[in-house]
Amino acid sequence: MTAQDHALCSHCLLPIGRRAMRRTVNGEACAFCCYGCCIAYQVKHGKTEEWEAAWLLIRLGVGGFLSMNIMLFSLLLYSDAFSGADAEMLPWIHLLLWLFATPAVIILGGPFLREAWLHGMEGRLTSSALIVLGVGAAYLYSAFATIEGSPHVYFDTATMVLMLFTAGYYLDAAGRARAARDLQPLLAAESEWATVVIGDGEYRRPVREVDAGVLVRVRPGERIPVDGVIMEGESHTDEALITGESRQIAKGVDSHVIAGSINLDGPLLIQSSGVANATRWAQICRSVRDALIRRSPSQRLADNIVGVFVPIILVLGIGASVYWARHLPFDRALLIGLAVLVVACPCAVGLAAPMATSLGIGRLARHGCLVRDPAALEALARIRLIAFDKTGTLTSGQARVVAIDSDGTTADVVLAHAAGLERHSEHGLARAIAAAAAARGLEPVAIHDVRVLPGRGIRGKSDGRIVAAGSAALMRELDWSLTPNLAEYGRRREASSHSVIYVGWGERAYAVLSLDDTPLPEARSTVEALRRRGARVTLLTGDLPAAAVRIAAAVGIESGDIEAGLTPEAKRAALERRRHDHGMVAMVGDGLNDAAVLAGADVGIAVGSATDLAREAAAVVLPPGGLWTLPWVIDVARAVRATILTNLAWAFGYNLIAIGLAMVGVLQPVLAAAVMAGSSIIVVLNSLRLERLPEPVPSTAAESAPAPRSTATSNQKAA
Amino acid sequence: MTAYLVIFVAGFAGSFHCIGMCGGFACALGRDPQGRGATVLRHLLYNTGRLTTYCFLGGLAGAFGQVICTPQGTTVPLLSGPLDIGQRILAILAGLLMIAMALQFFGLLPRLHRITTGSGASTLAASLRSLLTAPGHAAPLSFGVFNGFLPCPLVYAFAAQAASTAGALPGFLTMAAFGLGTFPAMLLMGGVGRALAPAWRQRGVWLAGGCILLLGLVTVGRGILPFAVHFAHGWTEPA
Repeated sequence: MTAQDHALCSHCLLPIGRRAMRRTVNGEACAFCCYGCCIAYQVKHGKTEEWEAAWLLIRLGVGGFLSMNIMLFSLLLYSDAFSGADAEMLPWIHLLLWLFATPAVIILGGPFLREAWLHGMEGRLTSSALIVLGVGAAYLYSAFATIEGSPHVYFDTATMVLMLFTAGYYLDAAGRARAARDLQPLLAAESEWATVVIGDGEYRRPVREVDAGVLVRVRPGERIPVDGVIMEGESHTDEALITGESRQIAKGVDSHVIAGSINLDGPLLIQSSGVANATRWAQICRSVRDALIRRSPSQRLADNIVGVFVPIILVLGIGASVYWARHLPFDRALLIGLAVLVVACPCAVGLAAPMATSLGIGRLARHGCLVRDPAALEALARIRLIAFDKTGTLTSGQARVVAIDSDGTTADVVLAHAAGLERHSEHGLARAIAAAAAARGLEPVAIHDVRVLPGRGIRGKSDGRIVAAGSAALMRELDWSLTPNLAEYGRRREASSHSVIYVGWGERAYAVLSLDDTPLPEARSTVEALRRRGARVTLLTGDLPAAAVRIAAAVGIESGDIEAGLTPEAKRAALERRRHDHGMVAMVGDGLNDAAVLAGADVGIAVGSATDLAREAAAVVLPPGGLWTLPWVIDVARAVRATILTNLAWAFGYNLIAIGLAMVGVLQPVLAAAVMAGSSIIVVLNSLRLERLPEPVPSTAAESAPAPRSTATSNQKAA
Repeated sequence: MTAYLVIFVAGFAGSFHCIGMCGGFACALGRDPQGRGATVLRHLLYNTGRLTTYCFLGGLAGAFGQVICTPQGTTVPLLSGPLDIGQRILAILAGLLMIAMALQFFGLLPRLHRITTGSGASTLAASLRSLLTAPGHAAPLSFGVFNGFLPCPLVYAFAAQAASTAGALPGFLTMAAFGLGTFPAMLLMGGVGRALAPAWRQRGVWLAGGCILLLGLVTVGRGILPFAVHFAHGWTEPA
């Protein structure tokens, strides 16, 4: 257990802040954000043989027994069951109540007193101080009243307030644990155990001790703890946690598996291919943990309010008592003050944001979308304009043959020759040509003596003839003529900023291949979906304007929203201008080339490279090939923001109204405690609605890339 | 008094139904190594805890009914007395709830069963088991207290009945009668629980269902029929 582990509550995984409660459960050091989580965790995880957990339940049970008896007697007193002839019994019943109440107050109030004391020593007033003060006043007054023989005691109020708070905190925490359900598998990467096979034996080891080359056994239903290769067994895996796509992927011997995916149906023996804490799962784990610990601006505001909340309530409560004491009997005035103290609920304010954000972050992370910071999530919800980088973001980032213009021969012959040459090269364009030939099922022409001419192209020999592919300069060098048709094709393609490769053999050039980066199949539907969500979409690229216009047209970005030929500095400036015109802006890039621009946007979104998260270039990282999730991510961010706002509205509205009612003396203290316990449960329930958000839907418009267009002019004979 | 007797009988008969869950707890509570007296004390404490919770729920439900129905604070004895509109509605609701529970006892409303026994109490029940084996006298007492809060159609039915009485005292008495009714069987459970034939358990459940059905019908009738007041007067004495 490291210090970092203790920044999140062991039970609900919300950040603890300064209000930690530390306990040892099942021999492990645990930290809790509140008393409720402390109870709920021990109820849920406490082992039978663990005395501490049982002791907690025993204390609560005995406290409940005592306070329920007190409440019963008091209910009977209120309903005048002891009036008339039994009236002389009254002092004895009060004495009995006192006897019951003393241990009950000590048992149930102990944790609150301890917390109030610890915080008080640090010079802070927290809500437990309110409870201690209110309950203590009610108890002490009742004790004096019993001694003096006055007709009213309020032991029931004191114990019921404590019981309701305890029960309320417990229910609250039990609900919050549901929020942690989504996060648990993400945070498990560091604490997961792996079944390591050494020789004939199998041993359980913490996953962080698993190195490359180690054999790991994974049973069906278990999570695969390491990246690796399957040595034995067949199964299906679900990689949704890593790739964002929830579907079954068949795996057999020699298949690669990724850490964090679930082994669905067959036992597997896996050879680890790397250190366990370098997997993408472990990276996700770290980033999610970091994100949960950070506080968003709205959260900081809420925490500041909670900080001044308690002293204000204290003043209001005492003020109400003092005021009413002049008009009412002292005990009534005291009860009104008590009601003010217990009805105020800073918990609801403090809980409004963190629960919703951690649900949102967990939800996104389950589909591979990582958020660095809750503030980014809040900003994303307010985005008015989304700027895209072109290469590698809206496009695949890999060149493809888009057109073959031949003169005197057919496209297939050209491709067969070109592929025969280019398969000897490692150049990106060369791979695109080889792929285009393979796609048509062409057998590359056998070529020998191949030489790569840097910056110009490639040449070789086939059947005694020279075969070459490359720039116009290479053709001139070989003294090969370009027919007017070919020269015209080449000029036109170059003008629209395609990469152009001339292919020739024998004594002349026969064709011009045009290569270009192609838009991703899901780019168009993503842009449309974003526009439907009221966001303006623009394209900021360092490429030439012609290429930018073509890609923009393909994905549906209007021509007025394109800026091309920008240096990184110019991109930042363009972004700045748009922020001035439109409000919050987001920048989507591949994270490799435009880190500075991403950092300059209100929300930097990187597609596919989780390492950027560590470098803090991007605030949001989508999974590789996960551009299509962007509209869904924005939906989630908006839902989270709406939830936070409704939570805050409820929390403040509730406190204003409830404190007002308590101060005018309408609210009984017991009722006030019940209402208060309910108010933070409502915040929890409202936040849990986020669990019902729809799953991301992969875009349906994932048509395959179009085949290259080929034009052939045959005014001359083919060679 | 007759009404409380019926409730007591229903509790007694219904406690055979309890053998399923609470009886299991009682068995698990087992014997105290310190001898017979200590074992009896252990089971008495457990049942006292349970009874306290039931009484508390009854008093609370009654007071709740009182708050809804009679803001003036006049309580109405069980099954008699003048009724206003709020009380009638409450009586009808409580009666219908009881009839539903009774039908469920006869196995006619299987879906309701899942609603009443679900609701996430199973984790609480599971962790409560740790209390069964814990030493000392406080553990069985607290276990009984928590046990009383575990979802149980019988408890719901009688809590509804308690609410319809619209008074803390009659509500308390209703649940006390029911709780005392469950006492004998649950006390015996430590010893003979598992020896009881399933057929007898089934008969007990039907008897309990019959009692609850009867009480439910009377309660609904109290809400619907104007002359039920007179009928009830003839049937029972005010508490």
